Amino acid sequence: MTLTFPRRSASWLVAVSLACAEPTAAASRAGATEADLPPPSSIRNLDYGDVLFHFFQDDYFGALVRLEVAQELRRLPDHPDEAALLAGGLYLSLGMHLEATRRFEQLLAGPVPRSVADRALFYLARIQYQREYLEQAERSLARIQGPLPGDLEAERRLLASNVLMARGRYGAAAAALEGWSDASGWADYARFNLGVALVRSGESPRGRELLEAVGTAQAGDEERLALRDRANLALGFALLQERQPEAAAVALNRVRLDGPFTNRALLGLGWAESEASRPERALVPWLELRQRPVVDAAVQESLLAVPFAYARLASNGQAAEQYRHAVSAYAAEARRLDESITAIRAGGFLDAVLEAAPAGRDGPGSVSWLWQLQRAPDAPHTRYLYQLLASHGFQEGLKNYRDLRIMQDDLARWSSSLEAFDEMVAARERLAGGRDARKSEFLSATDLEALQRRRDAIDARLDRIVTERDVTGLATPVEAAQWQALGALATRIDALPPGAQRDALAERARLLQGTLQWQLDATYKLRLSRQHAGMRILDEALVEARQRVGQIEQASQLVPRNNHEFARRVDELAERMARLQPRVDAAAAAQERLLAGIAVRELEAQKARLASYATQAQFALAALYDGAASGGAR
Amino acid sequence: MTTTVPRRLPRRARQLLAASALLILCAAPFGTRADATEAAAGLRTVDQDVQALKKELVDLNRDLFRLEEELLYPASTQVAVFLSVNVGTFFALDSVQLELDGKEVTNYLYTEREVAALHRGGVQKLYLGNLKAGEHELVAVFTGKGPHDRDYRRGTTVKFDKTIGAKYVELRITDRDSALQPEFDVRQWE
Repeated sequence: MTLTFPRRSASWLVAVSLACAEPTAAASRAGATEADLPPPSSIRNLDYGDVLFHFFQDDYFGALVRLEVAQELRRLPDHPDEAALLAGGLYLSLGMHLEATRRFEQLLAGPVPRSVADRALFYLARIQYQREYLEQAERSLARIQGPLPGDLEAERRLLASNVLMARGRYGAAAAALEGWSDASGWADYARFNLGVALVRSGESPRGRELLEAVGTAQAGDEERLALRDRANLALGFALLQERQPEAAAVALNRVRLDGPFTNRALLGLGWAESEASRPERALVPWLELRQRPVVDAAVQESLLAVPFAYARLASNGQAAEQYRHAVSAYAAEARRLDESITAIRAGGFLDAVLEAAPAGRDGPGSVSWLWQLQRAPDAPHTRYLYQLLASHGFQEGLKNYRDLRIMQDDLARWSSSLEAFDEMVAARERLAGGRDARKSEFLSATDLEALQRRRDAIDARLDRIVTERDVTGLATPVEAAQWQALGALATRIDALPPGAQRDALAERARLLQGTLQWQLDATYKLRLSRQHAGMRILDEALVEARQRVGQIEQASQLVPRNNHEFARRVDELAERMARLQPRVDAAAAAQERLLAGIAVRELEAQKARLASYATQAQFALAALYDGAASGGAR
Repeated sequence: MTTTVPRRLPRRARQLLAASALLILCAAPFGTRADATEAAAGLRTVDQDVQALKKELVDLNRDLFRLEEELLYPASTQVAVFLSVNVGTFFALDSVQLELDGKEVTNYLYTEREVAALHRGGVQKLYLGNLKAGEHELVAVFTGKGPHDRDYRRGTTVKFDKTIGAKYVELRITDRDSALQPEFDVRQWE
């Protein structure tokens, strides 16, 4: 007997498979990228380098706070545009779309270099796409003039095609991506998306070609391997839809046995074999799948598929046994779902999610998160996370919760710092009081004006000496005493009675006076120059003294004011923290309640599905018993 | 033995399986359309509240960060030592020690993530402290591994004058000309 694969179910399968293969990858890298940044050698403000040091370690919050401080203190004079662009990107990375949009629009409103405007438009378009403002996204993309730097150009092309696909314009999306190849890996995502778009728009052969290309491409990392698996899965189901089970099996066989898409591939592979009228070979993947944890929906379905294949092989005894097994497995799984629902309702659900998550930049929804969570501990809180994280809304909510948790920790740290600041300000106030007394004493003992007057008197004397060329005015104290002594001697000689002796003495005194004057005259210029140099030193010393006294006076005025200012700021910040802390706690709790509600609804939907499976198994079992009763069983 | 499959079973089973395949491949996160709409609206409202709250927290952190720096490290005494790297990736930085006026102030061990951030162009604020105006001496030593697992240890001594404004010293680990030997290049910024 030939079993025909139901056409309707096949088309559903492929539609659903392709629905699960939504345009991918670009959205996971939501924020700023390295392409926004200047090359290392061109960093001209160290504070900007400090921001990048944190940014490159995926510490977006730390980078943003430092960037805001540096911008406010005008420490980034050489990087105004890059810094503004990075700020927008960081807000985006932290899930603050509204502020990010405001920053990008603000940047675009000003005179910015074309390259910066293009990058801002790209990010704006990405936000608009994520928020489903598709027309605006298309307009923003159309305003980009030049090629974007690095991988951003590839991302732009990918985003452009995603926008077109989201608007249902598959043909235009295909045209936009046609002929694009690059080594960065983005082209693979584009080919995947295009393949899906073409299959959806009815151009299946071309779509399959592209999916085949991605499914057989070289892949060096987990992300690319996962994409390859996804392409093969989509291709396999597309081929199943077109009733090409042999080719479908080839594609599905390429999906790794230990990847995130393995279970679905095994299920599809079984269907391919079944469609090819090889139920015995269909059993191979289905039996493999059946041994896997029942938490996975594909595994749950395999519990029905295995007895279905046995029944086709007319092994009704085994079929009946497997249906019974399915019924008890569904019941056990339903109990586990109940446990999980109870655990989630009890609280602490999201913390369990975050504990199970890997460290690093990848957020919820990224391949590494999903992959890790698939291997998360089999605890009631975390058992069904993988399925929950398939929802974009849930991922966004989880990211918000994670950010709030980080900010709660941050507030707690600052809270103890603020107490220390408060004490520090008080200690500074006390110290300033002690210093004030010493300063007053010092300042009262320092008469700069008297010093200045003395300096001016010296200067006036020098001027007179120069004007009168009074060489004796520059005499050393010894020379001055000698000059004075010679003058007194001359007076005494003049008082002597005239005669040869007086003449001889007068001649000798005149000779000595002349010699001294000659010496003073000969060295006058040198002495004058030394005096001028001395005056310059004196002037410099006076200026410095005035500066120091000014600083001391200023400091004594500033410190108390600074302290009062600091005390005011500490109080103001403490008030803001006190206001914010309960709001953050409340927001985290609200986020948890909301996501827990979604999780519970999802798990209840899973329970309903299990109940439906159980009904089907029981029905099939009854049918088998019917058949046996009518004499057909072996 | 003739095998007889009950005629009714496969058809029904196929239909049931087809229906369940739909569920498997697109396990909708929400139960019903009404639930989905309600949940999405709930997420949006909370998301907008959380965005506003996050912005306030960023602003608060900015003000706290600024207060901390101005209170603990006023510009008149502030000295900051930055570290940057401009060498090929063959050189793996392990640690940097800093001594200021003969006193050790930092002994920093690097994680792989930090080293990668430095190689990508990040500049680390390695030390932030206070010094009186006047002449000071900074001694910096870095260790790491170069090609062929060769251990490197290089040091430098810098004398600098601290004036009234904040003083920035940048220690750049760079390749020695053409010899591919890492060494310090020091720049002072006022």
